[in-house]
Amino acid sequence: MNPEPFQQLDRVIHEKGRLAIMSMLAAAPELSFTELRDTLTMTDGNLTTHIRALQQEGYVAVAKSFQNRRPLTTCSLTAAGRKAFAEYINLLEQIVRQTKK
Amino acid sequence: METNWAEENLQTIRTLMERSALYRRALAPIMLFAGVVGVAAAIIGTAFHFDSPFAFTRLWPDTAIFAVVGAFLIARRQSIKDKEPFWSAPARRVVLAMFPTWLAGIIVTEVFRLVATNDSQLVWWLLPIWMVLYGLALHGASFFMPRGIRIFGWVFFLSGLALLVILAIKNSSNNLPPFVYAHYLIGAFFGGGHLAYGAYLYLTEKGKNAA
Repeated sequence: MNPEPFQQLDRVIHEKGRLAIMSMLAAAPELSFTELRDTLTMTDGNLTTHIRALQQEGYVAVAKSFQNRRPLTTCSLTAAGRKAFAEYINLLEQIVRQTKK
Repeated sequence: METNWAEENLQTIRTLMERSALYRRALAPIMLFAGVVGVAAAIIGTAFHFDSPFAFTRLWPDTAIFAVVGAFLIARRQSIKDKEPFWSAPARRVVLAMFPTWLAGIIVTEVFRLVATNDSQLVWWLLPIWMVLYGLALHGASFFMPRGIRIFGWVFFLSGLALLVILAIKNSSNNLPPFVYAHYLIGAFFGGGHLAYGAYLYLTEKGKNAA
Protein backbone atom coordinates (compact mmCIF):
# COMPACT_ATOMS: atom_id res chain seq x y z
CA MET A 1 0.00 0.00 0.00
CA ASN A 2 1.22 3.48 -0.80
CA PRO A 3 1.80 5.25 2.55
CA GLU A 4 2.07 8.65 0.87
CA PRO A 5 -1.50 9.93 1.42
CA PHE A 6 -1.29 9.14 5.12
CA GLN A 7 1.99 11.02 5.44
CA GLN A 8 0.50 14.00 3.61
CA LEU A 9 -2.40 14.35 6.04
CA ASP A 10 -2.40 17.78 7.63
CA ARG A 11 -1.43 17.13 11.28
CA VAL A 12 -3.14 20.31 12.47
CA ILE A 13 -6.52 19.21 11.10
CA HIS A 14 -5.98 15.53 11.86
CA GLU A 15 -6.40 16.03 15.62
CA LYS A 16 -9.91 14.88 16.64
CA GLY A 17 -11.10 18.12 18.23
CA ARG A 18 -9.76 20.36 15.49
CA LEU A 19 -11.18 18.08 12.78
CA ALA A 20 -14.61 18.40 14.41
CA ILE A 21 -14.32 22.20 14.49
CA MET A 22 -13.21 22.33 10.86
CA SER A 23 -16.06 19.98 9.81
CA MET A 24 -18.70 22.13 11.45
CA LEU A 25 -17.27 25.35 10.05
CA ALA A 26 -17.04 23.83 6.57
CA ALA A 27 -20.83 23.47 6.45
CA ALA A 28 -21.73 26.95 7.69
CA PRO A 29 -20.59 30.45 6.72
CA GLU A 30 -19.88 31.13 10.40
CA LEU A 31 -20.69 29.67 13.79
CA SER A 32 -20.66 31.22 17.20
CA PHE A 33 -18.28 30.05 19.89
CA THR A 34 -21.21 28.78 21.97
CA GLU A 35 -22.73 26.86 19.05
CA LEU A 36 -19.42 25.09 18.51
CA ARG A 37 -18.92 24.47 22.22
CA ASP A 38 -22.42 23.09 22.78
CA THR A 39 -22.56 20.93 19.64
CA LEU A 40 -19.12 19.47 20.18
CA THR A 41 -19.54 19.26 23.98
CA MET A 42 -16.16 20.84 24.56
CA THR A 43 -15.11 23.01 27.47
CA ASP A 44 -14.45 26.70 26.85
CA GLY A 45 -10.72 26.17 27.46
CA ASN A 46 -10.44 23.18 25.18
CA LEU A 47 -12.29 24.89 22.35
CA THR A 48 -10.25 28.09 22.76
CA THR A 49 -7.00 26.11 22.54
CA HIS A 50 -8.07 24.31 19.38
CA ILE A 51 -9.38 27.46 17.73
CA ARG A 52 -6.16 29.28 18.58
CA ALA A 53 -4.14 26.48 16.94
CA LEU A 54 -6.30 26.67 13.82
CA GLN A 55 -6.10 30.46 13.83
CA GLN A 56 -2.30 30.35 14.01
CA GLU A 57 -2.28 28.06 11.01
CA GLY A 58 -4.48 30.57 9.16
CA TYR A 59 -7.38 28.12 8.83
CA VAL A 60 -9.91 29.86 11.02
CA ALA A 61 -10.89 33.52 11.40
CA VAL A 62 -12.37 34.75 14.68
CA ALA A 63 -14.59 37.84 14.80
CA LYS A 64 -15.79 39.55 17.95
CA SER A 65 -18.90 41.72 17.90
CA PHE A 66 -21.88 42.63 20.04
CA GLN A 67 -25.47 41.42 19.78
CA ASN A 68 -27.85 43.33 22.04
CA ARG A 69 -24.90 44.62 24.05
CA ARG A 70 -23.69 41.08 24.69
CA PRO A 71 -20.35 39.95 23.27
CA LEU A 72 -20.64 37.55 20.37
CA THR A 73 -17.64 35.57 19.13
CA THR A 74 -18.01 33.94 15.73
CA CYS A 75 -15.63 31.66 13.88
CA SER A 76 -15.40 30.93 10.19
CA LEU A 77 -13.10 29.08 7.83
CA THR A 78 -10.64 31.14 5.85
CA ALA A 79 -9.96 30.39 2.19
CA ALA A 80 -6.78 28.59 3.27
CA GLY A 81 -8.78 26.62 5.83
CA ARG A 82 -11.36 25.59 3.26
CA LYS A 83 -8.60 24.48 0.86
CA ALA A 84 -6.74 22.54 3.58
CA PHE A 85 -9.98 20.87 4.66
CA ALA A 86 -10.82 19.86 1.08
CA GLU A 87 -7.32 18.42 0.66
CA TYR A 88 -7.66 16.53 3.93
CA ILE A 89 -10.93 14.97 2.75
CA ASN A 90 -9.37 14.04 -0.60
CA LEU A 91 -6.52 12.29 1.15
CA LEU A 92 -8.89 10.39 3.44
CA GLU A 93 -10.85 9.25 0.40
CA GLN A 94 -7.63 8.17 -1.30
CA ILE A 95 -6.68 6.11 1.76
CA VAL A 96 -10.09 4.43 1.80
CA ARG A 97 -9.89 3.68 -1.94
CA GLN A 98 -6.33 2.34 -1.73
CA THR A 99 -7.02 -0.07 1.09
CA LYS A 100 -10.19 -1.31 -0.54
CA LYS A 101 -8.32 -2.29 -3.73
CA MET B 1 -7.34 -1.19 9.95
CA GLU B 2 -6.29 2.04 8.28
CA THR B 3 -9.42 2.03 6.14
CA ASN B 4 -11.52 1.82 9.28
CA TRP B 5 -10.26 5.00 10.84
CA ALA B 6 -10.29 6.84 7.52
CA GLU B 7 -13.88 5.77 6.90
CA GLU B 8 -14.86 6.59 10.46
CA ASN B 9 -13.28 10.02 10.12
CA LEU B 10 -15.19 10.65 6.90
CA GLN B 11 -18.42 9.53 8.55
CA THR B 12 -17.77 11.80 11.55
CA ILE B 13 -17.05 14.73 9.24
CA ARG B 14 -20.27 14.10 7.35
CA THR B 15 -22.34 13.88 10.55
CA LEU B 16 -20.83 17.07 11.94
CA MET B 17 -21.34 18.95 8.70
CA GLU B 18 -24.99 17.89 8.61
CA ARG B 19 -25.45 18.87 12.26
CA SER B 20 -23.79 22.21 11.61
CA ALA B 21 -26.36 23.05 8.95
CA LEU B 22 -29.36 22.31 11.20
CA TYR B 23 -31.48 24.94 12.91
CA ARG B 24 -30.89 24.42 16.61
CA ARG B 25 -33.15 26.83 18.48
CA ALA B 26 -35.32 25.08 21.08
CA LEU B 27 -38.67 24.52 19.39
CA ALA B 28 -40.77 23.59 22.42
CA PRO B 29 -41.41 27.18 23.60
CA ILE B 30 -42.22 28.23 20.02
CA MET B 31 -44.63 25.32 19.51
CA LEU B 32 -46.31 25.88 22.88
CA PHE B 33 -46.72 29.57 22.12
CA ALA B 34 -48.23 28.82 18.69
CA GLY B 35 -50.54 26.27 20.30
CA VAL B 36 -51.78 28.68 22.96
CA VAL B 37 -52.36 31.36 20.31
CA GLY B 38 -54.27 28.88 18.10
CA VAL B 39 -56.51 27.68 20.91
CA ALA B 40 -57.14 31.26 22.07
CA ALA B 41 -58.09 32.30 18.53
CA ALA B 42 -60.51 29.36 18.24
CA ILE B 43 -62.16 30.38 21.53
CA ILE B 44 -62.38 34.02 20.39
CA GLY B 45 -63.74 32.99 16.98
CA THR B 46 -66.43 30.81 18.54
CA ALA B 47 -67.36 33.08 21.44
CA PHE B 48 -67.52 36.28 19.42
CA HIS B 49 -69.14 34.64 16.36
CA PHE B 50 -66.48 35.38 13.77
CA ASP B 51 -68.69 33.55 11.32
CA SER B 52 -68.73 35.81 8.28
CA PRO B 53 -66.22 35.03 5.53
CA PHE B 54 -64.58 38.41 6.11
CA ALA B 55 -64.27 37.91 9.88
CA PHE B 56 -62.97 34.36 9.43
CA THR B 57 -60.39 35.34 6.81
CA ARG B 58 -59.27 38.19 9.08
CA LEU B 59 -59.13 36.32 12.38
CA TRP B 60 -57.01 33.34 11.34
CA PRO B 61 -54.43 35.06 9.13
CA ASP B 62 -53.98 37.69 11.86
CA THR B 63 -53.56 34.85 14.35
CA ALA B 64 -50.94 33.29 12.08
CA ILE B 65 -49.07 36.61 11.81
CA PHE B 66 -49.19 37.01 15.59
CA ALA B 67 -47.86 33.46 16.06
CA VAL B 68 -45.05 33.97 13.53
CA VAL B 69 -43.98 37.29 15.09
CA GLY B 70 -44.07 35.68 18.53
CA ALA B 71 -42.03 32.72 17.28
CA PHE B 72 -39.40 35.09 15.87
CA LEU B 73 -39.21 36.98 19.16
CA ILE B 74 -38.83 33.76 21.15
CA ALA B 75 -36.09 32.54 18.79
CA ARG B 76 -34.37 35.91 19.01
CA ARG B 77 -34.48 35.83 22.80
CA GLN B 78 -32.97 32.35 22.78
CA SER B 79 -30.18 33.38 20.44
CA ILE B 80 -29.31 36.42 22.57
CA LYS B 81 -29.30 34.27 25.69
CA ASP B 82 -27.08 31.65 24.03
CA LYS B 83 -24.79 34.32 22.53
CA GLU B 84 -25.50 33.04 19.05
CA PRO B 85 -26.47 34.96 15.91
CA PHE B 86 -30.24 35.09 15.39
CA TRP B 87 -30.27 35.41 11.61
CA SER B 88 -27.94 32.44 11.14
CA ALA B 89 -27.51 30.44 7.94
CA PRO B 90 -29.80 27.61 9.19
CA ALA B 91 -32.44 30.19 10.25
CA ARG B 92 -32.30 31.72 6.77
CA ARG B 93 -32.68 28.28 5.17
CA VAL B 94 -35.71 27.45 7.31
CA VAL B 95 -37.42 30.75 6.47
CA LEU B 96 -36.62 30.41 2.76
CA ALA B 97 -37.91 26.83 2.72
CA MET B 98 -41.22 27.92 4.26
CA PHE B 99 -41.59 31.14 2.31
CA PRO B 100 -43.20 29.89 -0.96
CA THR B 101 -45.98 28.04 0.86
CA TRP B 102 -46.56 30.97 3.22
CA LEU B 103 -46.84 33.24 0.20
CA ALA B 104 -49.26 30.82 -1.46
CA GLY B 105 -51.33 30.76 1.74
CA ILE B 106 -51.51 34.56 1.89
CA ILE B 107 -52.56 34.86 -1.76
CA VAL B 108 -55.14 32.06 -1.55
CA THR B 109 -56.62 33.64 1.59
CA GLU B 110 -56.86 37.05 -0.09
CA VAL B 111 -58.56 35.47 -3.12
CA PHE B 112 -61.08 33.72 -0.87
CA ARG B 113 -61.71 36.96 1.00
CA LEU B 114 -62.61 38.63 -2.30
CA VAL B 115 -64.57 35.74 -3.81
CA ALA B 116 -66.44 34.43 -0.77
CA THR B 117 -67.84 37.71 0.48
CA ASN B 118 -71.37 36.34 0.98
CA ASP B 119 -70.82 32.62 1.00
CA SER B 120 -69.52 31.47 4.35
CA GLN B 121 -69.70 27.83 3.27
CA LEU B 122 -67.13 28.54 0.56
CA VAL B 123 -64.63 29.54 3.24
CA TRP B 124 -64.75 25.96 4.56
CA TRP B 125 -62.41 25.07 1.69
CA LEU B 126 -59.72 27.35 3.08
CA LEU B 127 -59.15 25.03 6.01
CA PRO B 128 -57.76 22.04 4.12
CA ILE B 129 -55.78 24.40 1.88
CA TRP B 130 -54.15 26.04 4.91
CA MET B 131 -53.44 22.66 6.46
CA VAL B 132 -51.89 21.24 3.29
CA LEU B 133 -49.79 24.37 2.73
CA TYR B 134 -48.64 24.47 6.34
CA GLY B 135 -47.75 20.78 6.15
CA LEU B 136 -45.71 21.43 3.01
CA ALA B 137 -44.00 24.41 4.67
CA LEU B 138 -42.99 22.28 7.65
CA HIS B 139 -41.87 19.49 5.35
CA GLY B 140 -39.67 21.88 3.39
CA ALA B 141 -38.19 23.35 6.57
CA SER B 142 -37.62 19.91 8.07
CA PHE B 143 -34.57 19.39 5.86
CA PHE B 144 -32.83 22.00 8.00
CA MET B 145 -34.48 21.11 11.31
CA PRO B 146 -34.71 18.14 13.65
CA ARG B 147 -36.43 15.11 12.15
CA GLY B 148 -39.65 15.39 14.20
CA ILE B 149 -40.72 18.45 12.22
CA ARG B 150 -41.09 16.33 9.09
CA ILE B 151 -43.53 13.99 10.82
CA PHE B 152 -45.43 16.99 12.18
CA GLY B 153 -45.58 18.39 8.63
CA TRP B 154 -46.90 15.09 7.29
CA VAL B 155 -49.63 15.07 9.95
CA PHE B 156 -50.85 18.48 8.72
CA PHE B 157 -50.47 17.54 5.07
CA LEU B 158 -52.37 14.25 5.32
CA SER B 159 -55.02 15.66 7.66
CA GLY B 160 -55.57 18.52 5.22
CA LEU B 161 -56.01 16.10 2.34
CA ALA B 162 -58.38 13.95 4.40
CA LEU B 163 -60.42 17.01 5.31
CA LEU B 164 -60.52 18.01 1.66
CA VAL B 165 -61.99 14.62 0.75
CA ILE B 166 -64.51 14.76 3.62
CA LEU B 167 -65.62 18.26 2.58
CA ALA B 168 -65.97 17.16 -1.03
CA ILE B 169 -68.20 14.24 0.02
CA LYS B 170 -70.27 16.46 2.32
CA ASN B 171 -70.51 19.15 -0.33
CA SER B 172 -71.77 16.69 -2.96
CA SER B 173 -74.80 16.09 -0.76
CA ASN B 174 -75.13 19.80 0.10
CA ASN B 175 -74.37 18.91 3.67
CA LEU B 176 -71.40 21.04 4.73
CA PRO B 177 -71.26 21.34 8.53
CA PRO B 178 -72.21 24.59 10.29
CA PHE B 179 -69.47 27.15 9.97
CA VAL B 180 -68.72 27.26 13.70
CA TYR B 181 -67.08 23.83 13.34
CA ALA B 182 -64.40 25.45 11.22
CA HIS B 183 -63.16 27.29 14.31
CA TYR B 184 -63.20 24.04 16.30
CA LEU B 185 -61.24 22.20 13.64
CA ILE B 186 -58.63 24.86 13.07
CA GLY B 187 -58.28 25.31 16.84
CA ALA B 188 -57.82 21.57 17.27
CA PHE B 189 -55.21 21.24 14.50
CA PHE B 190 -53.27 24.49 14.70
CA GLY B 191 -53.82 25.05 18.43
CA GLY B 192 -54.04 21.54 19.82
CA GLY B 193 -51.50 20.15 17.35
CA HIS B 194 -48.84 22.68 18.28
CA LEU B 195 -49.58 22.29 21.98
CA ALA B 196 -49.22 18.52 21.77
CA TYR B 197 -46.01 18.71 19.75
CA GLY B 198 -44.64 21.44 22.03
CA ALA B 199 -45.37 19.33 25.11
CA TYR B 200 -43.67 16.35 23.47
CA LEU B 201 -40.60 18.44 22.64
CA TYR B 202 -40.56 19.97 26.09
CA LEU B 203 -40.34 16.52 27.64
CA THR B 204 -37.83 15.15 25.14
CA GLU B 205 -35.54 18.18 24.64
CA LYS B 206 -34.82 18.87 28.29
CA GLY B 207 -32.01 21.34 28.80
CA LYS B 208 -32.75 23.19 25.57
CA ASN B 209 -35.97 24.82 26.71
CA ALA B 210 -34.82 27.29 29.28
CA ALA B 211 -35.74 30.35 27.21
